[in-house]
Order: sequence, then C-alpha cells, then structure tokens
Amino acid sequence: MKIELPLANGLQEVFRTDAGCVYQSDTQNCLYVEFSGKTIRYKVKCFFRLKAIVDRIDLAKMASDPGRACDLEIITMCACENCYVLTLPQIVAFKELLAGAKVMLELNSILHDRLRRVAVKAV
Amino acid sequence: MKDLLRLKSSLTAEIEALLNEQIQKEAHSSSLYLAMASWCDRNGFDNSAGYFYKQSDEEREHMLRIFKYVSDLGGTALSPTIDNIKLEFNSFREVFEDALEQEIAITQSFNNIADKCLRLKDFMTMQFLDWFLREQREEEYVARRAVELFDVIGEEGTGRWEIDRHVSKIKYDSEPSGA
Ligand SMILES: [Fe+2]
Ligand SMILES: [Fe+2]
Repeated sequence: MKIELPLANGLQEVFRTDAGCVYQSDTQNCLYVEFSGKTIRYKVKCFFRLKAIVDRIDLAKMASDPGRACDLEIITMCACENCYVLTLPQIVAFKELLAGAKVMLELNSILHDRLRRVAVKAV
Repeated sequence: MKDLLRLKSSLTAEIEALLNEQIQKEAHSSSLYLAMASWCDRNGFDNSAGYFYKQSDEEREHMLRIFKYVSDLGGTALSPTIDNIKLEFNSFREVFEDALEQEIAITQSFNNIADKCLRLKDFMTMQFLDWFLREQREEEYVARRAVELFDVIGEEGTGRWEIDRHVSKIKYDSEPSGA
C-alpha cells in the first residue's frame, strides 16, 4: 500500500534530516517515518521499539566484519510487515533521524506541560 | 501537535526502564532464594528451606506488583529472563550472608529509583515506591537477624540445628513496644 504525500493528510513534521522525515498524525495518533524510499506508519509504542532495535545494531562490528553479508542489515519487527534493508551509512542516518524525532517528541511533551497543563492555573 | 508520548503513558522512558530493571532484579531474587531453598533442602536444613521458599514467593509478588504498575500506567512491562543463579554455597552461613547482600542491593536499587523520581518530579511513582521502601526495612531486618544467629547461637555442636530452628521465627515489628 502506497501512502500518499504525508503533509497533504494533515501530518505535522516532527523532525527532518537530509535522509528522511518523521511526521505525526493528530487524527490517527500515530507517527509516519519516511526513510529509504518508503513511508511507514507506526504507533507510538512501535516507533520506540523500532528505535531500540536500530540503536542496538553494533556499527563498529558491522564496519570491521569483512564478510559480504555484513554490508547490509535487515531490520524487522514482529507484528510489522515492513522491513528495512540498510547499509551502514543508512543505519547511521536512520539512527540520527529516530533520535532527533525522539528528542522533538519529548520536547513537545515538555511544552505541553509548561504551556498548557501547568500554566492553566496561573492564567 | 498532540502530546502523543503523554497520551500513551504516564511514565517517562527513564522511569519505565528503571522499573523494568527492578522487575528483573526481583525475579532474580526470587530465583536466587529458590536456589537457596534447594541447597538447604539438600543439606538437611529443613526450616531454612521453608523460609527461602517463602522468600522466593514474596519476591515474585514484588515483581508482579511492579509489572502491573508499569502496565497500568501505559508502559511496556518486560517479562524477565533469569540466568546465572548461584547454585552452590560453601556453608550454611554463606547462604544467609548472600541473602542479606541481596536485600541490601535491592534496597539500594529502590533508593536509586526514588532519587530519579524526585529529580524527574515523578511523584506518582515515588508514592508507589513507598510500599517497597517500607518492605525493604523489614527484609533487611530479617536477613540481618538471620546472619546474627550464627554468632548468637554459634555453629558448634548442635548449633546449626538450633539456628535452622530459629530462622523461621524471626519477626519484624516496627512498633517500639514490640506488642
Ligand atoms: Fe523484593
Ligand atoms: Fe526481598
């Protein structure tokens, strides 16, 4: 299933790098990750599982291993039909994208706390 | 933009990770006490075996309590995997010394989580920890008293038999009157 241009569907940009972008959908309460030529929808929990999996990849080991198969890493998650087949530089870029998105999501959470939840009484 | 993180869970990633580590530690305690029960049984310390079976059950209860809390608050509770459980002990006394060490480590671990909760202003979890901190007071007391029996009674003659008899009688009472 091909997902149409995210921004046209009322998605908001969470974090963007040269390699990809993470969007948030407030209507569907989920995230869209645009990377390596595809856009995949994730529930918040799944997004963090994906991030944990990517973070766990041992880049140093991948770089030093002379075997052919080690040039690529296949990233799969159970209960998710999509998978990524990524090269080492792509993984570095993917890590950066996911980490940046996480920081922005946390920042958004802090802003909600400071500007709305806590501030309500102060007004 | 909606705050999807907070809508999903009341726990921050950091506290959730610490609580999952604690689930792991309680499960480890439970397995360790079971190994101690087995050792005591093998070596004829009947009462002590019973004492450790009971301890093992309690640790599983602790684990479930944290497990449920993480789940209830929208987090992902991770089912623990346990390995590297010590099976052999050099002496009857060592079993109890190890048990005390284990309880001290658990108390320290809860102190750590409480410290983190204060720093992150997670008072909900802080309050949840209250029960455990109180429990640790008792756990350490009982474990320490058990080790002290080895000095009070002494291991010579029928000493170890005597110690084994007394282990299950150790009770903690927080009231000064002892009533
Ligand atoms: Fe415990
Ligand atoms: Fe305990």
